[in-house]
Amino acid sequence: MAGGRIVVPSPLPGFGLTFGFTTFFLSAIILLPLGAMVIRALGIPPSELLAMLLDERAVASYRLSFGAAALAAAINAVFGFIVAWSLVRYDFPGRRLLDTMIDLPFALPTAVSGIALATVFSPTGWLGLKLAQAGIQVAYTWLGVVVALVLIGLPFVVRSVQPALIEVRKDLEDAAESLGAGGFNVFRRIILPTILPALATGFTLAFARGIGEYGSVVFISGNLPLKTEITPLLIVIKLEQYDYAGAAALGFFMLVMSFVMLLAINLVQQWGQRRMGIGVAR
Amino acid sequence: MSIALDQVTKRYQSLPVVNDVSIEIEQGEFLVLLGPSGSGKSTLLRAIAGLVEIDHGRVSLHGRDVTGVVARDRGVGFVFQHYALFRHMSVADNVEFALRVRRMKRADRLSRRQELLKLVALEGMDERLPAQLSGGQQQRVAVARALAHRPEVLLLDEPFGALDAKIREELRRTIRRIQQELGVTTILVTHDQDEAFAMADRIGVMHQGRLLEVGSPDELYARPRTRFVATFLGAANLLLGYRRGHRLGFDRPGAENVTPREIVAVIRPEEIELTTGKAAGGLTPVGSGVVQELQFAGATERLRVRMPMEGPVPATPDREGADGSGWLLDATRTFPEQRANPLAIGQKVTVSARRIHSLPTPISSFTVVAREQAAAEQLRGTPLLATLAARMQTRITMRTNRTASAPPGMPVLAAGPGASATAQWNLAHGASQVLVLPAGAVLPARIVVLPGAEAGVGALGVAASLLRHIPAESVLLAVHEAATPERERASRLRLLLDARSRALSEHGLDLRTELRFGDVDAEIERELAADPTSMLVLGLDSLEASETARLATLLEGPKLRPVLIVRAPDGAA
Repeated sequence: MAGGRIVVPSPLPGFGLTFGFTTFFLSAIILLPLGAMVIRALGIPPSELLAMLLDERAVASYRLSFGAAALAAAINAVFGFIVAWSLVRYDFPGRRLLDTMIDLPFALPTAVSGIALATVFSPTGWLGLKLAQAGIQVAYTWLGVVVALVLIGLPFVVRSVQPALIEVRKDLEDAAESLGAGGFNVFRRIILPTILPALATGFTLAFARGIGEYGSVVFISGNLPLKTEITPLLIVIKLEQYDYAGAAALGFFMLVMSFVMLLAINLVQQWGQRRMGIGVAR
Repeated sequence: MSIALDQVTKRYQSLPVVNDVSIEIEQGEFLVLLGPSGSGKSTLLRAIAGLVEIDHGRVSLHGRDVTGVVARDRGVGFVFQHYALFRHMSVADNVEFALRVRRMKRADRLSRRQELLKLVALEGMDERLPAQLSGGQQQRVAVARALAHRPEVLLLDEPFGALDAKIREELRRTIRRIQQELGVTTILVTHDQDEAFAMADRIGVMHQGRLLEVGSPDELYARPRTRFVATFLGAANLLLGYRRGHRLGFDRPGAENVTPREIVAVIRPEEIELTTGKAAGGLTPVGSGVVQELQFAGATERLRVRMPMEGPVPATPDREGADGSGWLLDATRTFPEQRANPLAIGQKVTVSARRIHSLPTPISSFTVVAREQAAAEQLRGTPLLATLAARMQTRITMRTNRTASAPPGMPVLAAGPGASATAQWNLAHGASQVLVLPAGAVLPARIVVLPGAEAGVGALGVAASLLRHIPAESVLLAVHEAATPERERASRLRLLLDARSRALSEHGLDLRTELRFGDVDAEIERELAADPTSMLVLGLDSLEASETARLATLLEGPKLRPVLIVRAPDGAA
């Protein structure tokens, strides 16, 4: 890039117009509301803000939101990888259909998946009933939250890992094999390290989505304060009680967390690109 | 013997991509497998490494049969076209990979790694990542990695394909030096003939899944056995030449009493002498033409000379212009030659040849013989003949007038009434083979060879030539009639085995052999009936009635099949 110049001239006309529109659009739809919320939250005296954020009910909701999201993302990292593996490596009848189905949680309104899950896992639902007989209750416990977040997060892992798995060329495995590596060694030393950045990206994406997820969780979680109440729900409750300051405080906290997550995703991707030498001349 | 392949065949969806390849490679030899893309050379290399399972045949490394052994236990080193380096590992970890999976001690790994990096001139690069290296350096790392576990066989699959010309040259030398230093048996696959010439002890040329010819570079260049190798290895002019007595000429045969023997002559462009006026003394005259193209190419000058249609005959049809204004002959001249005799476009020149190599191919050209033009056209369009001629790059000429002798090249007749007599007449008047085709005959999926005694060698040579271009199943049939006396049985069996081993050594042709006892005609019929598209290659020892009796049934009905008759050379007995 030319030193000192902010705008690199492009042979295409229309930079001023499109750049202006971009900044206006981003301001109106993202920066303005978020800024308003931040100002609202920072208008609260610091001691009060801290008290709101460290309120017993709020802390319990963080624990559930972050804990369940992390656990769900971890589960997805394992099973999502297996799903991606079978979709990439094998050809079987119905593969394309299965491949399309992965995106269903993306496409469905989250409330629909929430209701569906609640129906299946409620103590009278046909899966919940069996589990209840085995002494496991899913609906209206933290486990229900995890189940909902696994459903929501799966496509993120699969869609991140899939292209990376395709990228692992047959050559690499052939090379490892001709050098004397068996199947397990090939997987551990070649395949896994090669797709690790993609898997990490998928994990982080699923985790970030899990923290913010609302629609699919509220139906199955039961929403018991201190037990199965997630942070986004707490914000809604505060709004319904006209506690705008409390809602803004929690919102501010979530905003900071989202920002941290975004940063983490970017760092993970950069790390992966550097490691695999993408963007570096071969 | 370091590497031995025995009848290796690999099919994809029943199509053979590697077809019946047998070769033995000495310890420390550098063999280059050369062929156009899709010729099966890479698949063959992967089969040797165990990365591809073969459908038929055997692979042995140092006398150990490894056909069923997985790649990781074969102990070969393999270098890929796109390096296939592990990008998340440093150069050091890449090179040590084979040692690590063998659980070698750290100190030993380190010293081996340093030794290897020194060998490929990459000392001090240990901690770099592949992405930080240039293409040439990456391929050096790949070579070092492939050699780490001291393999006795090194296999390289187009290792220079992704590199630019200069680095390619340098890496060629490096690999050749390393190979000679270590004495490791090496096979390199490439489609680049310069590369093959520069590196190989021996070159194996592959085409359509078959290993056509194997030999030292100069041997293959000077004395190719097939049209494909003649034209694939360097440039070549292929002409039909006519041997009359001991004299080889290029004049078109006219009405002659004795059929001249037609051959396919290979004349390299650098062996062409162009003179203005009289032909140069002591050289074989080829004809005269007009300089059409003149290209300066540094040390040499490339010329194309337009030869008139009534002059010498090109052996391949693709050289002819569609307008019938003649065909183009390639010539190159050195700088001193240019200086001594400057030529200009449009100038009339006399062409002669310093050195002519005649291909040992038994099929030089086809001549369709029929009474009328329409019948000749129809015969020429028979799928079997049309496809075969196209694949063999062979000319088809037509003859409808009566002549005193058989046409040069292989006469092609229509099966049906009178075919037996016509075939015998041609065989008696100079033709050594005759092809008889029923209407609409298609490319055979099965070729049955009944070699005869004296004609056996010729019949098998022709069959080999056919099978190079037709992916058919081939059966060598020998029938002992019940009446054959005991003593003659042994000598006939010896003739058969002789013929078979000659077919293998001279033509690389490996046939399934069937030995039968019983009636000859019935056994022929049984073998042919196994496939509706069967073709028969029949060796005739003489034109006596005892030999020709079965021609009437085979050529005139009721069941007609393509039959190629090969006559024993005169005086062979």
